[in-house]
Amino acid sequence: MPATSRDQLSPPAAVVPRRPGRLSGRRRATSPWWFAVPAMLLFAFVVLVPSARGVYYAFTDWDGLDPNSSFVGFDNFTGLLDDPDAVQAVWHTLLIAVSVTVIQNVFGLLLALGVNSLIKTRNVLRVLLFAPAVITPIVTAYLWRNLLGPSGAVNSLLGTVGLDSLRQDWLGDPQLALWSVVGVIVWQFGGYSMVIFLAGLQSVPKEVHEAADIDGAGPIRRFWSITRPLLAPAFTINLMLSIIGGIKLFDQVYALTGGGPGHATDTLSTLIYKDAFTLGEFGYSIALAVVLTIIVAVASTGQYLVLARGERAAS
Amino acid sequence: MISTRLSAAIAAVTAAGLLAACSGGTNAAGGNSSTTLTIASQDQGSIEPVVKAFEKANPGIDVRLTVSSADQYQQQIRTKLASGTGPDVMSVWPGNGNPAATYVLAKPGYLLDLSDRPWASKLPDAVKTVSQYQGKTYNGVFGLNGIGAVYNQDALDKAGLTPPGTWTELLDFCKDANAKGTPAFALGIQDNWVTQIVLYALAATTVYGPDPDFDKKMQAGQATFADSPWTTAMAKYQQMDKAGCFQKDPLGTSYEAGQELAATGKTLGIIQGNWVIALLKGKNPNGKFTLRALPATDTPSEFLMPAAGGTGYGVNAKARNKELALKFVDFVMSPEGMNLFVTTQGGLPTRPDTGFTPDASLTELSTFVNDDRTVPFMDQLWPNPKVQQSMLSGLQEIFSDQSTPDKVLQAMDADYTSGS
Repeated sequence: MPATSRDQLSPPAAVVPRRPGRLSGRRRATSPWWFAVPAMLLFAFVVLVPSARGVYYAFTDWDGLDPNSSFVGFDNFTGLLDDPDAVQAVWHTLLIAVSVTVIQNVFGLLLALGVNSLIKTRNVLRVLLFAPAVITPIVTAYLWRNLLGPSGAVNSLLGTVGLDSLRQDWLGDPQLALWSVVGVIVWQFGGYSMVIFLAGLQSVPKEVHEAADIDGAGPIRRFWSITRPLLAPAFTINLMLSIIGGIKLFDQVYALTGGGPGHATDTLSTLIYKDAFTLGEFGYSIALAVVLTIIVAVASTGQYLVLARGERAAS
Repeated sequence: MISTRLSAAIAAVTAAGLLAACSGGTNAAGGNSSTTLTIASQDQGSIEPVVKAFEKANPGIDVRLTVSSADQYQQQIRTKLASGTGPDVMSVWPGNGNPAATYVLAKPGYLLDLSDRPWASKLPDAVKTVSQYQGKTYNGVFGLNGIGAVYNQDALDKAGLTPPGTWTELLDFCKDANAKGTPAFALGIQDNWVTQIVLYALAATTVYGPDPDFDKKMQAGQATFADSPWTTAMAKYQQMDKAGCFQKDPLGTSYEAGQELAATGKTLGIIQGNWVIALLKGKNPNGKFTLRALPATDTPSEFLMPAAGGTGYGVNAKARNKELALKFVDFVMSPEGMNLFVTTQGGLPTRPDTGFTPDASLTELSTFVNDDRTVPFMDQLWPNPKVQQSMLSGLQEIFSDQSTPDKVLQAMDADYTSGS
């Protein structure tokens, strides 16, 4: 009785007769395609169908409320090109994505190299540096909103050490606000990149380094010729995660600046939210979401192809 | 397998959040008990005692109350109504111009006509205009709120200053306050809705004083923001900023931080709605705060205060328990319910016949209301939410030198005429 209940749940024909085959190695790789059907159906119903229905609304003037909306063709998309806020938001999105990707990974890699060395406190440091990544982004954002306020901790600290001239209205100055947001994201997720790089670093065999050492290679040479190529998979993962995260950034921006002052820090995501839920322009907002989806898809696919080639070349 | 499922689930949730959340929904069935009433409200902290009193007066009923902040509420209620899962009773903003306002929800037929309720005819005209759509009442607006300068008495005493009575005195007051090392008013416009408050306080007198029918002219296309005394209101806002009326770095200061400054006497006051008084008292229970009209000209008899019906309650046209829903709204609009509600909120009741004694801090507002020297909050009669949003981000841009008052008013005009 206990044994049967589980079997009843399994697909009938597949398991029993083919059992020997599954163990023989070669057949193991080819499960029947219809094994994937339940998962595909679930995926279709939960993701594909609603998404497709969502995309349809990008071609309407739906206000999110009135059940009747009319088809407007590509009006929402052409309107987007004439909307200076949208164009600016695309620019901000790309600026954040690129700068976060570069700074966070340089920062993460340096941290990883640091805590991979033999310093005594390395385990404590690893925990501390990773800690911000486990906090909910919205919480960190509110925390930093206070720290970066005109009389917040950052300005107080600058004042205390005599650097009054460097005190700024970090989130209220439109020239600075975007960079403050970037800084907060790097602070939070630098440790996350570090962990992935660290895992990569620890998979580099010691013997290779020792051999190179004997051959007289210095630390920079060893990093460039041994560590860097072997870290290629870690780079792929890290760059991909940070660029996708940067492009779809919402919560930190929304909590830190709300897209302001004015529209100085609006990203595509904050604009999508505002257009839909504040202005009730769901059609237009979904058009923006479609554009965002396309940007994410193109950027991540492109990046993956380039990096995967790099990985192959390195291995 | 588990990890595949997990990642599929994560992928599903993530992707769904992007697009699928926006697509239509289905009608959900729910409980149909005649003793259950569902209420969705944004009156955090003040509706709870009202619901308790209602339950006490109607034993045996089960009120299911959902309370959320205004932002959250506005996005949820639209989704709920559009998908047929709306509550029986819901918070509805007066007039037009925001996603859950009376006109916006009444137009597609989501609200029940409340014109025949006993209280509907007893509302003052200023409240009627914003609780009705096409001549029918849809919103039980129970409270009045006003905007003005809220002074911290202890801080004033310490600085040896008294509240200014005219525009010229106001600018001197700001200079004197700075000379004492305490700026006059806290301004926390990192939260962009706060930017409009000072402007409304000024526009009430400068725009509606000379032209009480300004809104009607706007609706008829006979007036524009850019070519009206709105420019004066904008100029005075900037003049106040230049005169040092506000603390440093207002754009980096949040609403919350602004309250902190005013409550603890780091500024002499704050220009806000009467609702801020309860919040200031929360931060400084011993403080004494009074709301006064903000001088915008040198003739005090011209002063008008923005005062408007606050968020009220409407009944879902498809309410599952219509009878109980109406009973609740009637209770809110009864003298008992109304007084209970506005006492916890720190406002004034909309009905003049409730025998309500306002808190001492609101004496001036109460006088202005009784003398009919108030104008509705300006956005309540605007045709769509875009006008207000352009104003809010535009004011932030003015404060950060990214834009000018003329440009902002022109953008508001463009949005005004872009339809509803």
